[in-house]
Amino acid sequence: MNETVTEAMVLAALREVIDPELGCNLVDLGLIYDVQITGATVRVRMTLTTPGCPMSESITWGVKQALLNLGPVMDAEVELVWEPRWHPDMASEAGRGALGLRPA
Amino acid sequence: MPETPVITPLKAAPNAPSAFVPLRFIVVGVLSLGLALGLTAIHPAVLATYHYNQQVIAITHLLLLGWIASVVMGAVYQLVPVALETRLYSERLARWQFLFHVIGFAGMVWMFWRWDMKQVGHFGSAFAVGVGLFVWNLVRTLARVKRWNVIAFAIGAALAWLVLTVLVGLSVAAGKCAYEYATPLTQSGWLRTTLRGLQAAGAFMGRFDQLGAMHAHAHAGVVGCFVMLIVGVSCRLLPMFAVSELQSPRRAAWSVGLLNLGLLGSFFAMLTRHPLKPLAALVMAAGLALYALEVRAILRARRRAQLDWGLRQFLAALALLIPGATLGLFLSWPALAVTPLVGQLENLYGLLGVLGVVSLAILGMLYKIVPFLVWFGRYSGEIGRCRVPNLADLYSTPVQIAGFASYAAGLLVTAAGTVLASEPVVRVGALVLGGSWLCLAANFALMFRHLFHPRLAPLSPQPAGKAVLA
Repeated sequence: MNETVTEAMVLAALREVIDPELGCNLVDLGLIYDVQITGATVRVRMTLTTPGCPMSESITWGVKQALLNLGPVMDAEVELVWEPRWHPDMASEAGRGALGLRPA
Repeated sequence: MPETPVITPLKAAPNAPSAFVPLRFIVVGVLSLGLALGLTAIHPAVLATYHYNQQVIAITHLLLLGWIASVVMGAVYQLVPVALETRLYSERLARWQFLFHVIGFAGMVWMFWRWDMKQVGHFGSAFAVGVGLFVWNLVRTLARVKRWNVIAFAIGAALAWLVLTVLVGLSVAAGKCAYEYATPLTQSGWLRTTLRGLQAAGAFMGRFDQLGAMHAHAHAGVVGCFVMLIVGVSCRLLPMFAVSELQSPRRAAWSVGLLNLGLLGSFFAMLTRHPLKPLAALVMAAGLALYALEVRAILRARRRAQLDWGLRQFLAALALLIPGATLGLFLSWPALAVTPLVGQLENLYGLLGVLGVVSLAILGMLYKIVPFLVWFGRYSGEIGRCRVPNLADLYSTPVQIAGFASYAAGLLVTAAGTVLASEPVVRVGALVLGGSWLCLAANFALMFRHLFHPRLAPLSPQPAGKAVLA
């Protein structure tokens, strides 16, 4: 008997990946735009807070590692997109709290 | 099974050079600051008396070239590819520049202290080779920028002012040298051309007032190069760290344009003691005022309620532009009599510019740059596999606050001692600044400790997936 990967598993794994400058995980920051699961392959479409983000390579690498660490995942693809552009309002309530955001 | 990491060790970002390139510049810079503060505490007369003597010039160059230029050059190698979203032209050139830079500035400071201008010229030439490599590397990097904006323009302008500063400095040094052994050496072509060029440059600079030339040289370096870089790069970094946006690119462009125009005017006005110097100073102040308006607008539009201490330190440095520019306007008045008090106010102007605006801004940004470099050096390959610390976890915030508070207090006391021409007060101020440096050094030790003793924790257990038949 094998396990199949679920979206909840993927999001839980991605909550372990932080933006070290902002001190918040990618899911609560609202950086994860889409998760597609096809068998043992997971495809994540995501963005970063700014196009010139110096952390880009490290964070996308971390996302891939977090996904491959999930037992049932055999392959992981990370697509970095800049449209729609990230906005602080995309962060979850927990993310806004972690960022110390004030209302717009 | 997780694949092998693709990130090169100690490479900070796809466009950035190896983290060791900026780090070596930064370490040399911080050591130079400690040495300069120590020398000021030992020789407080450098600020308590008029500024045209060998020790003042030696310590000033230790601060400007050893501390500020080292950190700025290291940070520029790191930040410019990030700010302009492009790749550094050559990392190898940066390594060679480091060699010429350290030999050049250390020799210059030593020879200024001994007042051996011929050797200052020789070490200055080594420094100039390093600057040439730096500028060439950055110009080639800027050539890769697809869309020019205010940041790229400010960086380009800062490079041009850096070149002018070095050329004027070398020419002033050449003007003070007698190349008595030049005649028997002038047989070969390139050497003869170089020596004749130096003699001509020295003779040309000799036509100007020497104090005016020194002021123009210092202004081009501090305001033209360093303040220009702060203004340009902050247009990118301030919105990034405060979670905001540049509010008016046009206003930012005008501020950089006016700053350059005013600098150009003041450079020639200082050199020739022209009566229109206040007008040029006014244009510069207008550029800085527009920049201040833009910074205020960025901060008002920010989403982060609490700014971190690095950013607060940077903003405190920008606030010092107000007394600095006001004092600059006052001192630019051509009818101002050169009294002992005015001489001390000129020292205060230099102090506010070098240890105030530029150094404080750099100290604030160091708390962004160094944790970033160390984090990438140690943790970038572990993210997603282990729980890694945030950048702010790499150092002690209370120590950082203590450093900021003691720096502000030390600067205030040193400024008071400078205006009062009091050696004991300047000494106390320098010692308090030295205490601030120790806080910085302690935090550096905490940060570098992570390179050897990383703080990693296992990830949380993942929720179970659905069970299916194989």
